[in-house]
Amino acid sequence: MKAILLAAAALAAAFWGVAAGRDAAAPIHFAYRPIDFKLDSSETPQRHAPETMAGGVALFDYNNDGNLDIFFANGADIRTLKKTSAKYSNRLFQGDGKGNFKDVTEQAGLAGSGFDNGVAIGDYDNDGYEDIFLAGVHGNRLYHNNGNGTFTDVTHRAGLDQPDSQYGPLWSVGAAWVDVNNDGLLDLFVVNYLAWDVNHEPSCEAAPGRLDYCHPKLYKPTPNQLFLNNGDGSFRDVSAESGIRANPGKGMGVGVADYDLDGWMDIFVTNDKLYNSLFHNKGGGKFEEVAFETGVALAQSGQFISGMGVDFKDIDNDGYPDIVFVALDNETFPLFRNIGKRGFVDITQTSGMTGLSAAMAGYSPTVADFDNDGWKDIFVTRGHVQSLGYAFRVQVEQPNTVFRNLGGAKFAALTAEAGLTAQPPARHRGSAVGDLNGDGRLDVVATALSTPAELWINDSPGGNHWIAFQLQGTKSNRDGIGARIKLVAGGAAQYNQVSFAAGYASSSAGPTHFGLGPNKSAELVEIRWPSGIVQELSNVSADRVVKVKEP
Amino acid sequence: MRSVLVLLAAVCVWAATDPKAAAEAEKALALAREGKYELAVTHYRAAIALDPHLPGIDLNLGLAYFKLNRFPEAAAAFERATKADPSSFQAQALLGMSYFGSRRFDAAAVHLKLASDQQPDNLELRYKLAQSYLWSKQVQAATEEFRLLLAKNPDSGPVHMLLGEVLDAAHQEEQATAEFEAAVRASPSEPEVHFGLGYMYWKQKRYEDARREFQAELVKQPQDSQALAFLGDTEMHAGDQKPAADHLRQALKLDPRLRLAHLDLGIVLAVSGDAPGAESHFREAIRLDPSRPDAHYHLGRLWSSLGREKDAEAEFAKVKELGNQEQQPPLITMPGHNGEPKL
Repeated sequence: MKAILLAAAALAAAFWGVAAGRDAAAPIHFAYRPIDFKLDSSETPQRHAPETMAGGVALFDYNNDGNLDIFFANGADIRTLKKTSAKYSNRLFQGDGKGNFKDVTEQAGLAGSGFDNGVAIGDYDNDGYEDIFLAGVHGNRLYHNNGNGTFTDVTHRAGLDQPDSQYGPLWSVGAAWVDVNNDGLLDLFVVNYLAWDVNHEPSCEAAPGRLDYCHPKLYKPTPNQLFLNNGDGSFRDVSAESGIRANPGKGMGVGVADYDLDGWMDIFVTNDKLYNSLFHNKGGGKFEEVAFETGVALAQSGQFISGMGVDFKDIDNDGYPDIVFVALDNETFPLFRNIGKRGFVDITQTSGMTGLSAAMAGYSPTVADFDNDGWKDIFVTRGHVQSLGYAFRVQVEQPNTVFRNLGGAKFAALTAEAGLTAQPPARHRGSAVGDLNGDGRLDVVATALSTPAELWINDSPGGNHWIAFQLQGTKSNRDGIGARIKLVAGGAAQYNQVSFAAGYASSSAGPTHFGLGPNKSAELVEIRWPSGIVQELSNVSADRVVKVKEP
Repeated sequence: MRSVLVLLAAVCVWAATDPKAAAEAEKALALAREGKYELAVTHYRAAIALDPHLPGIDLNLGLAYFKLNRFPEAAAAFERATKADPSSFQAQALLGMSYFGSRRFDAAAVHLKLASDQQPDNLELRYKLAQSYLWSKQVQAATEEFRLLLAKNPDSGPVHMLLGEVLDAAHQEEQATAEFEAAVRASPSEPEVHFGLGYMYWKQKRYEDARREFQAELVKQPQDSQALAFLGDTEMHAGDQKPAADHLRQALKLDPRLRLAHLDLGIVLAVSGDAPGAESHFREAIRLDPSRPDAHYHLGRLWSSLGREKDAEAEFAKVKELGNQEQQPPLITMPGHNGEPKL
């Protein structure tokens, strides 16, 4: 036993003062509802790496009827990377705003063709209809929304079908739409994982004769990519000239936010068993990688951990976006608090998240105010990366958990209490958040390997008020991605930066939501558009989606 | 759990053909009975030189070596004894024990199993067998052996503790913790029992619970360097910098090789503004294990906080270098994704 210590690594302390907590009198609760989609990643006894990484999902309004729809990315035959069976079809479900969904995949033309991993929603051509980018294994796809319920594959025309000149075809796990140069056009950041080839993959045993997924250190890293929107339906690969390409990694999650409030959107990428990357946007199309300098390269242990999905939102209502990402068991779910110009501080320990999450393996964290109390909570889809055959060593299948924000500095974990054990534990993967039934409470859709997807309908008690903003940019990108919204209600301020990229390989593209607690209106809403225009609204009544057009 | 095996008395059955050899053997045996094992070895060897086939002579020579903690030589003698008489329980048991003493746990398990098969109710022997399985990483066999022991000794703290160790090695943390908790209930004053439970809590990042157990261990063993280091670590996590620094310093005074204590003390000193002290401990942590990124990272963060950007960059570059070290994949790697040491 004691010999361990000589080689043991310490966990560095976080030295934050602990703010007072709050009575957890209004818990968050969800009710399970099924949906007819089963993620099929073509699991084989050989345990090829992409089999365990699939599962992106998106919530967005594809037909502008005001109701959120659901898109599931799905796998393919692992050897051919082709959707050789209907079971691998991607799926689009049209929502009726009451929590009911109809499969419209075929009509929409979205069944797909390759091994699709992640999904990113964004209106890249500013035509008022949300488009779909699919990050996949050795092949990405861009689907243009035709505005009539159908989509067209425009990958080639967009110039997004070129293999990397050095690495060949890449394995993309996720992506984010973000206007990096504030020209009013959404650009595309693509997160790439490992250099992978089904014919040249190491075999790894979890036990004698029992193959399982290999450690990422056995694969080479690959660079992420940045594509600038030319405004004519095509994109230009600026990965090298922007500085992104110089920092290859084993990317898993991507979050976009202007962390230093300098008016330029920055990009955070989690890497698997490696240090994270924070790409600071210097303007002029140039980025510098500053994860080490800002204190977000590694979690408090100082070790390389299994960085999975991420969300980049303000959890303590100080206006600065914080970073929340998840990892595997014994690695905790790190929280980095943004302290302005001085970078970030790891508050995993002081927030209670260390103890709460130590035994958990997470995939997709999404930050949103699930009880509408004015503090953003964290919903985490859980499940281990290893196959079911690894259950003799770790808890492979796990329930999801919501971490309730107790005032910005502390969290409480709710699993069974939140109703999340209504379904058996599973190997959960992606997740997206939005109000599926129009009741003002944010719901969650989650995927899981080889099991049906889950709708978690928020039925939290408490009757808190809420408000959501559907932005329409004019000079800025039409989705308003990058807009900073400050809301004051009951004398307290809250902040959101509009971004659809959240969690693992997923997209939450509904209106930007605020919980107002007991307040029936917001005294002030200030929107700073990416164009620089500042718009103010006063005394905005609650419990509705407010459409705001950039002046 | 310390040594538990009651040494078996060697049987003297001299049937020498050479009277001089018999005399040397008798002399050796008399010296051994007086506890003069070094001298006994000399006379046993003289007897063997005169008659290498003297019955029982290797068993007695091995026992003398065993008493002198000269385990490899004892094992060699017992190997000869078991070859001469493969059915000898004594020779098998002592050979297993000698390998155990030599830390050759694989070989120990083989011979202790052969001896246990002859005396299935000899619990002390089975205990050593279970330990041999554990420390030769035969987790399944160890688990079965400890469960058998536990069935016969349900209130044995040491057995609970070792079963906990086995289960921990098998990555069954919850069950392992339960066994350590049972061990504390059964034998709260047993050395290392609180440490073991504290370590399990520490692994699960239950720092407050771990802290309590390390403190309890230190009441019994105040000079336990590892308990001091882990206690300091839990205090650091709780933000109690002063006691953390005190305990980490005490630990390092007792054992300067404790990497965890160097790293933690570096972090604590960095927070308190003692940059030279912090640097010194970070550097020692790096020296003790250059393959880990953590001390480089914290040293880099220290330099960064002091505006020494070039020094910081150098440390961060080391972290990146460690992260990007390529690993040549063997055809079969064991274990899988999560199987690398977490500590």
